[in-house]
Amino acid sequence: MSRQKDLPGRSVSRRNFLVGAGGVAAMTIAAGCGGSSSHSTTGGGTGTGTGSSITDADILNFALNLEYLEAEFYLRAVTGSGLQSSDVGSSAGTVTGGMQVAFKTPAIQQYATEIASDEQLHVQFLRKALASAAVSRPAIDFTDAFNAAASAAGIGSSFNPFADEDSFLLGAFVFEDVGVTAYHGAASLLTDKTNLAAAAGILGTEAYHAGEIRTLIAQLGGASLTAANQISNLRASAGGGNETMVSSTSIVAADSNSISYDRTTDQVLHIVYLSPSAGVVSKGGFFPNGLNGKITATAS
Amino acid sequence: MVLIEEKEQLRSAEDVAEKRSTRRSALLMGGTALAGLALGRAKSAFAQSTVTDTDILNFALNLEFLEAQYYTLATTGKTIDVAAGISIKGGDGSAGGTVTVKSNPAVPFTTQFLQDFATEVAMDEQNHVKFLQQALAASAVAQPNLDLMNSFNALAQAAGLGSTFDPFASETNFLLGAFIFEDVGVTAYQGAAGLISSKTYLDKAVGIHNVEAYHAASIRTRIFQAGATAQQISQAIATTRAKLDGTNTDDMGVGVSSAGAATIVDNDSNAMTYARTTTQVLSIVYGGGAAGKGGAFFPNALNGNIK
Repeated sequence: MSRQKDLPGRSVSRRNFLVGAGGVAAMTIAAGCGGSSSHSTTGGGTGTGTGSSITDADILNFALNLEYLEAEFYLRAVTGSGLQSSDVGSSAGTVTGGMQVAFKTPAIQQYATEIASDEQLHVQFLRKALASAAVSRPAIDFTDAFNAAASAAGIGSSFNPFADEDSFLLGAFVFEDVGVTAYHGAASLLTDKTNLAAAAGILGTEAYHAGEIRTLIAQLGGASLTAANQISNLRASAGGGNETMVSSTSIVAADSNSISYDRTTDQVLHIVYLSPSAGVVSKGGFFPNGLNGKITATAS
Repeated sequence: MVLIEEKEQLRSAEDVAEKRSTRRSALLMGGTALAGLALGRAKSAFAQSTVTDTDILNFALNLEFLEAQYYTLATTGKTIDVAAGISIKGGDGSAGGTVTVKSNPAVPFTTQFLQDFATEVAMDEQNHVKFLQQALAASAVAQPNLDLMNSFNALAQAAGLGSTFDPFASETNFLLGAFIFEDVGVTAYQGAAGLISSKTYLDKAVGIHNVEAYHAASIRTRIFQAGATAQQISQAIATTRAKLDGTNTDDMGVGVSSAGAATIVDNDSNAMTYARTTTQVLSIVYGGGAAGKGGAFFPNALNGNIK
């Protein structure tokens, strides 16, 4: 038996970049100790475009940018406000859009509350680990970005994930599998076991979130399920990397060996910038001014 | 921040106190301390002997045999060799062990949505067995003797849930039986990941870890939806797992905190999933039985060097 609905990535198949190994993979996320420069890896053909070496702190900051995005999304949906000022750094970017969701189903509100707490804790953990090296929150956009994503995915001209609880689940789906693939991309590249342990722990939580959201969307079925799979298609075409369509028979996103996919930072950036175009892309989509830190631009 | 405190309320009072103090000291000590906390337990399991990647993958293969048999029996009533043509022999041709299970174990599914998922998980676990067998080739261990009947009864007693428990009797029981394995699988792979030398196998182990987490989340979500009784049983099981692994803390059942957060994710106060050492995993799957001798799900211990 195998999964019937795996979506091939646009540009780089998983097999290809595993074979390519080192340089490409070195650009993906890791977690590590603040201020340490002893575990640097050299950037390969993709990623920052700077050609300079990438430290653990750089990679950790890449992860922090993504955690800011997730935390702001869930916290705003649950509480109406985002991260506290003490959790975003100095001169933090603005967050556009986002509001408290009028949850009607207590269970969905409870799920959302848990995930919001988890993502907030990830931000706090990474900021503590990075200490003074932590980047501040970049500018984040939820309004235009979700509209653009909906349009690109063929869902419609606009989409407000805060409009109601079903929309909220769909908005969550946009992020969750991507986080799993991003952290997975890093794991095998870390030379430091400590970094690996931290990354695996965060990754484990992201995979739980993804499994939960996919289960809930499969249960919803109908238009929500259709839209989720349109988003899945968009992620594959915009960023590359493999996707597994959601259905009642396909909750897990994984390959034919039942092993989850991974993505490079380039692939992740193409997705969050909502920019499928090849070449250097340094901002757009959910990050209108780009990420903060060193890994901010795609190389291809 | 209120949100952070909420989830911890589901844990026991001393558990929360311990976690908060651990977290606080970790943060105060900074990066180096975090390193020690994250890996301290994982290292200790392997401190006394040299464990190879083959040993670790074989350890995983034993666990995958257990999971694959459970889900395949639940969905088809047959073992993996019969239902899916998967060899239970060792790579060297050594004979596979037996599976002790009730007659006609196929779960009487009434919900297609759940049956679909059970079938998906069975496929995933079969794929994991096949993948590990292929990776280990001639070094792959045979399936050890497995017990999917007396084990559940013993665990039910340990958790204070009665004298017997039949995970194949109903959909809810099936979910609770699955619950016993899945979070443990996540923690086992996470603990093992830090010990694997080969980058290729590390990547694969992390990928399997993630799939186990997807499974765990989906099962926990369904237990959540099954209602208060199922949630309470999951909490009793989680408490028992934490006792068996010796931490008394590092596990959490499904429920809702007093302040309104679900506990779908089984993770710590940094929102990180747990890592268990092989010793801790063995204690759980042996139901507290002695290392090397086995018990519960593995009545004659695992096959391979880690047992």
